[in-house]
Amino acid sequence: MSAQAQTPFRRALRSFLEQRTARVGLLLLSVLVIAALGADVFASYSPIDVLIDKEPGAIRLAGPCINALGCEGPQHIFGLDNNVRDVFARVLHGARLSLQVGFLTVGFAIVLGSLIGAVSGFVGGWVDNLFMRIMDVLLAFPSLLLAIAIVTVIGPGLINTQLAIGIVAIPIYARVMRASVLGLRDREFVAASRALGASEASILFRKILPNALTPIIVQGTLGIGGAILDVAALSFLGLGAQPPTAEWGSMIGADRNLLFSSPHVVVFPGIAITMTVLAFNLVGDGLRDALDPRLQR
Amino acid sequence: MRLLSVVLVGMLAVGCTGSNTPAAELLPFSARSYPVDGPAKCSVSEGGTPEVGLKRITSVNELTVKFELCAPDIAFLEKVSLTPFQIDDSGYLQAHAQDGVLSLKPNGTGPFSFTAWERESQIVLARNENYWGDKALAESMIFQWQQDAAARLIQLQAGTVDGIDNISPDDAEILKSDLNVQVLSRPSLSVMYMGFSNTMKPFTDVRVRQALAMALDRKRIVDTFYPDGSEVATHFTPCAIPNACGGTPWYDQDLAEAKRLLAEAGYPNGFSTTIAYRDVTRRHTPYPTDIAVEVQAQLAQIGVIATLDLQESTIFQDNRDSGKLTGIFLGGFGADYVDATNFMDYFFGPQSGPRFGVIPEALQSLVSAAATTGDKSKRDSLYAEANEIIRSEAIVVPIAFSSSAVAFRSDVANAEASPLGNESFAPMKPGDRSSLVFLQNVEPGGLYCADEGDFESYRICSQINETLYGLIPGETELRPLLAESCDSSKDLLTWTCTLRPNVRFHNGATLDASDVLDSFAAIWDCASPLHKGRTGIFRYWGTLSPFLNEERCASN
Repeated sequence: MSAQAQTPFRRALRSFLEQRTARVGLLLLSVLVIAALGADVFASYSPIDVLIDKEPGAIRLAGPCINALGCEGPQHIFGLDNNVRDVFARVLHGARLSLQVGFLTVGFAIVLGSLIGAVSGFVGGWVDNLFMRIMDVLLAFPSLLLAIAIVTVIGPGLINTQLAIGIVAIPIYARVMRASVLGLRDREFVAASRALGASEASILFRKILPNALTPIIVQGTLGIGGAILDVAALSFLGLGAQPPTAEWGSMIGADRNLLFSSPHVVVFPGIAITMTVLAFNLVGDGLRDALDPRLQR
Repeated sequence: MRLLSVVLVGMLAVGCTGSNTPAAELLPFSARSYPVDGPAKCSVSEGGTPEVGLKRITSVNELTVKFELCAPDIAFLEKVSLTPFQIDDSGYLQAHAQDGVLSLKPNGTGPFSFTAWERESQIVLARNENYWGDKALAESMIFQWQQDAAARLIQLQAGTVDGIDNISPDDAEILKSDLNVQVLSRPSLSVMYMGFSNTMKPFTDVRVRQALAMALDRKRIVDTFYPDGSEVATHFTPCAIPNACGGTPWYDQDLAEAKRLLAEAGYPNGFSTTIAYRDVTRRHTPYPTDIAVEVQAQLAQIGVIATLDLQESTIFQDNRDSGKLTGIFLGGFGADYVDATNFMDYFFGPQSGPRFGVIPEALQSLVSAAATTGDKSKRDSLYAEANEIIRSEAIVVPIAFSSSAVAFRSDVANAEASPLGNESFAPMKPGDRSSLVFLQNVEPGGLYCADEGDFESYRICSQINETLYGLIPGETELRPLLAESCDSSKDLLTWTCTLRPNVRFHNGATLDASDVLDSFAAIWDCASPLHKGRTGIFRYWGTLSPFLNEERCASN
């Protein structure tokens, strides 16, 4: 076995790729990222462009039309919605929005949650008590209800929704980080750093934090799927992304009454949400297995 | 769910057997007039002619009530047939006007009596076994609500409800081939409009309002979202209503002119605003959010960038009717009776309220004058003139005259769709089931309909409370209800109504002329201790008359 193969990163990567479900998750995620980045290239229409009077024959709720399958006329892979907009373009641009929402929301929660958890676990005493009781209060509310309450106070909109879901997620990361820091703060390498004269802040941020990141990464990956789902749920309720923004939850919310007469306007964004959440969950599970030393094969 | 409802109704019916009405609520008849200190002062238009309104109500004897008017009112009978002008028991009114019970536990004379209101779930009514007319065929009536048309449809197809309101136009097509369901259409007697208040900037400038009127491609909205039988609105009042559509038809879309007007008004790059609406499917608005998005997109073409402002149904209505909306709003109105006064008096008459800001005096006068004459050609010309002012001032932008549909299970006998959206359920028989369950759009705000403004309330109220006149089920013609007849004097200034004898309220009280007097006086006089309601707005009263002691009205 070469020395290169022994590095923790390589070992984790190999372990990750050995899992079939993780590979599927990674594939789905790659498709999603490519779709999101190339939305303007892959979709021939703008997601908010109403095609009435712009494209001959464009009618409300027209079903999918794929030239390769023999459909003549302008190609709309996922059909048109109730406002005569291209559903494919809206789903692709929705992917961009959902990824952005997922990463930003979880990023926000990780930064604040980790900071709170790290300080709490490292300092201990009344600081720990104070922070953790606040976190307990936040955890006591059902997360979506709390998010709805926050959005109701600060007003609907995508940024406010992300903020609300981010705030709701903070305690999860704070607790994970605190647990990691508690496990690390009395280890020998910390004592060694302290003996060498390192400041407390330096010990926390330069020695302990980097070693405590693994569980946060796993939790964060799993959390992205949940955050995307929560934002979609709030948008479905009309509290998140505001029309005409292409967002999967609001697309389903706006046209939910057409489920029976024109299922394509609801089904495609629904599939997109399912696939995205599944992708993040599979990748998250894979990462957890790959990074957990107890599961090393 | 259905079984549970039936059991609940049975239990409640058993619990309610026998009258337990407090003696204080059973008031004896007293002959009197209102106002007590002489006839009310009549409003006078700019031209010096009296405006439509009540002058005095007198309970002449137990079964005779006399209405004296300030000016002839051609649609008096149609107006008193409106659900908000329900007749309540004097004793019940006096006992419960202040404590809010009127709105939560109504007491009427109708074919169904109130049993229970399970908040956010359902309202249960029981058959009135002492009803003066043909008794209801169903033992009980249950109203439930579901905002989503698709969810309503699922419930109908699953057989958990007997009827649903406002099926979406797309589902209506599919349901026509479903043998288990009967689809009944309502004609286009409703208007969907885009409104704004002319007291809120930038809508204070007529050029801005005209620009908005010209910005919309209304045909595109109707073609895209409305069912067959709907039309682009040429005027505010649907043209199926006589005398309604005189005067120049509404503006066609003209983006260049709209931009020029905006620039002239000081907004060369447009402006930002909001579009308030409620996400409730109505007979005038089949796809609320999609229509709002379309209006948003069309306004963006002249630089008016609007954010959608989705509001809860009752909050939206209260905000709109009290003139609190600062931006654009999307609304609609369905006819309550087939006369132009229903639309014109309610929206542009002297008592129309602050919905669109301040209605020009000239327009108010024309509307008042048209309401007081029986001369058809004169009414035609007065309404045509009024329509010209609505158009030139762009007080509101009418968009569509819409039709709608209801659906019932096929085994519901005598199912009907009221052209006015106010179905009568007493004649309907739900197959071999004892309970008739109807699923409407939203939960009503309250059940004292004198102070409600929504058909979600009216539909339920009209099963419990009755008016002097009412509509023949499924038609637009009137029939006497609590009155056996109402006859006018030759000058149309006095209407004398003879009440039906031996009619009993659900609380056991007997209907007499005092009940009629008190029911009207409670709404009419803002200083009356009975004038409270749920919101205190009593938005329909203006259709019939100005308020007494207006300075004490909640809307002021």
